[in-house]
Amino acid sequence: MKLNINTKDVVSGAFLILVALAGLYLNQDHSLGTARRMGPGYMPMMVFWLLAGLGALTVLGGLFSGPDPLEKWTGVDVGSLAAAVAAGVIVWKISPQFSGFFGTTYNAVGIGILAGMVVLSFSAGWRFLGLVCAAVAMFGLMLEKFGFFAALTGTILISVLAEPGHRSRPLGVLGLLVFLLALCWWVFIRELDIRVNLWPQL
Amino acid sequence: MELLLTNLAHGFGVALSLQNLSFALLGALIGTAIGVLPGIGPVATISLLLPITFGLPATTAIIMLAGIFYGAQYGGSTTAILLNLPGEVSSVVTTLEGYKMARNGRAGAALATAALGSFFAGTVATVLVAASGPLLTQVALSFGPADYFSLMLLGLIIACVLAQGSVIKAIGMVVLGVALGLVGTDVQTGQQRFTFGIPELSDGIGFVPIAMGMFGIAEIILNLERPEARSVLKTKVGQLWLTKEEFKRATPSVLRGTVVGSLLGILPGGGASLAAFGSYMMERKISRGRHLFGQGAIEGVAGPEAANNAAAQTSFIPLLTLGIPSNAVMALMVGALIIQGIQPGPRMVEAQPDLFWGLIASMWIGNLMLLVINLPMIGMWVKLLQVPYKFLYPSILVFCCIGVYSLNNNVFDVYMTVLFTVFGYMCNKLKLEPAPLLIGFVLGPMMEEHLRRAMLLSRGDPMVFLQRPISATMLGIASVALLLMLLPNIRKKKDEAMAG
Repeated sequence: MKLNINTKDVVSGAFLILVALAGLYLNQDHSLGTARRMGPGYMPMMVFWLLAGLGALTVLGGLFSGPDPLEKWTGVDVGSLAAAVAAGVIVWKISPQFSGFFGTTYNAVGIGILAGMVVLSFSAGWRFLGLVCAAVAMFGLMLEKFGFFAALTGTILISVLAEPGHRSRPLGVLGLLVFLLALCWWVFIRELDIRVNLWPQL
Repeated sequence: MELLLTNLAHGFGVALSLQNLSFALLGALIGTAIGVLPGIGPVATISLLLPITFGLPATTAIIMLAGIFYGAQYGGSTTAILLNLPGEVSSVVTTLEGYKMARNGRAGAALATAALGSFFAGTVATVLVAASGPLLTQVALSFGPADYFSLMLLGLIIACVLAQGSVIKAIGMVVLGVALGLVGTDVQTGQQRFTFGIPELSDGIGFVPIAMGMFGIAEIILNLERPEARSVLKTKVGQLWLTKEEFKRATPSVLRGTVVGSLLGILPGGGASLAAFGSYMMERKISRGRHLFGQGAIEGVAGPEAANNAAAQTSFIPLLTLGIPSNAVMALMVGALIIQGIQPGPRMVEAQPDLFWGLIASMWIGNLMLLVINLPMIGMWVKLLQVPYKFLYPSILVFCCIGVYSLNNNVFDVYMTVLFTVFGYMCNKLKLEPAPLLIGFVLGPMMEEHLRRAMLLSRGDPMVFLQRPISATMLGIASVALLLMLLPNIRKKKDEAMAG
């Protein structure tokens, strides 16, 4: 058989193997037990070995079933991915030192994700992924401290950046914002009565 | 027979209560809307609405969620016929002949065929669910843990075999799903597994963040990446009725589609889209109008539309009788039931007669509602299509955010959703199917429990899986299915069928 690399399959397989190895490593903490009385580690052991095997098969098959390359990524895309991961981790680790706010619950994680996603959205290939994820992270970050309306506003404003059609039309965005705030208030607060702060907690 | 009628009467009593009726209508309306709108499917919508159903009684919640599922099958055909744009995967084949019919000026006839065919198929399938439910339940009650384990294994394998693309990658995704299901507290020893000391993970990874991230938000990103100029409707709908000749041609196709759809719906991993493909292939080969295929043959609309709706109903059978989800939507139903404190399985018919029979009755009522919603009100749904995606996606996004948060009132779930969005996006780029992962995630914990129980009973002898006849049969079918898929010839045929 001629070598004909299916990059998608090889990467998928490698990913499965990676997860399996991580799982097997973490599973060392759990006692296996016996086949009759299986301990908490028995099923994970089988699952991760199976996963590793399937990953290996996928890689092997992928060497011959190609070509199916990944979408072309420019150097900027690869660079910004690395920068985003770095930015996210750094912000996550150091943000609690700047404000007590980031020291509570998962806010440091939230600001880390937000920072990483914002960096990511600077490159064309990742723009939509970065902006949409940043919008969701913004919601998590703002909701409890700044309230329902402010969090929704933040999410909507970030998410509309993803669509060029919105940029030249601030009035359309304003209309959408007012409509969605009213709709969400009516559905989730009035009808479903979910427990959440509506206004900033100062 | 008499018992069946009594039970059905009881079911209609439950389903016709004002609350259940209005939520069935709501579900059907939402389902039609998302069916019409491309880019948001039933899986994302049901996971989105899952938190909302917490406050409802279990029966009402399931009735509404079911309405969304089969409503989407009706709605998906509207855009397929009028705009050559499948609103759902299951209506992809409807575009082939349906859009041609619309261009020939027979849009009204195509829409009427789709709606009437779906209604007929839905009625037959509902009766099938009602009749086979209690029977299968009796069989299921004799199942031991080993049988359950093998049955679930069979379900997972068939789900993979029928999935799009590579079988091995699909199995990989199932196993990855099972692995994700391991996170949390071990039921038997109370030990924390793979939780990294995060208290929110001790109950396991949330079902909704996975479904919402991988099916809801990742889908938004992918839609934004390929901007589609949505064509404005040019075709006129015309008379919503069939000529005598068309009626004569469509009837046998509807009948065949109903049979194909009902059978493929029961199969694990089957479901609506496979049924539609299957029926289309069949009509193209054997129907009387087969020479007209490609020019707008009514058989090519009638068969698949009947099939996808029949399958949407019968895919409830494995869930209601065995507690095993056969596709991603049913996996969500399991999630909904468990959240309501109901363990899906053979005991449900006896323990929850209101739910079981009420759901079945509501299916038929829902189909009737959908007929009304779709035919006379077609103009309204076409208008809905004119809402541009740039206004739609921020709305979907904020609903997802609030929905995920309200699950536990915890922002942790919001960040998990981001994680699974990125993962879902990556899977799409690598051609890894997300649906098998969801099924594996739901079945994984149950499989572990049954495996451990079976091995305890057999004193550690794995041969128990081959000695029990039910279990051995299941494993036999699973290995045959797997072997068949490895034969290059059959695999090629499958790929062709999947590509339409």
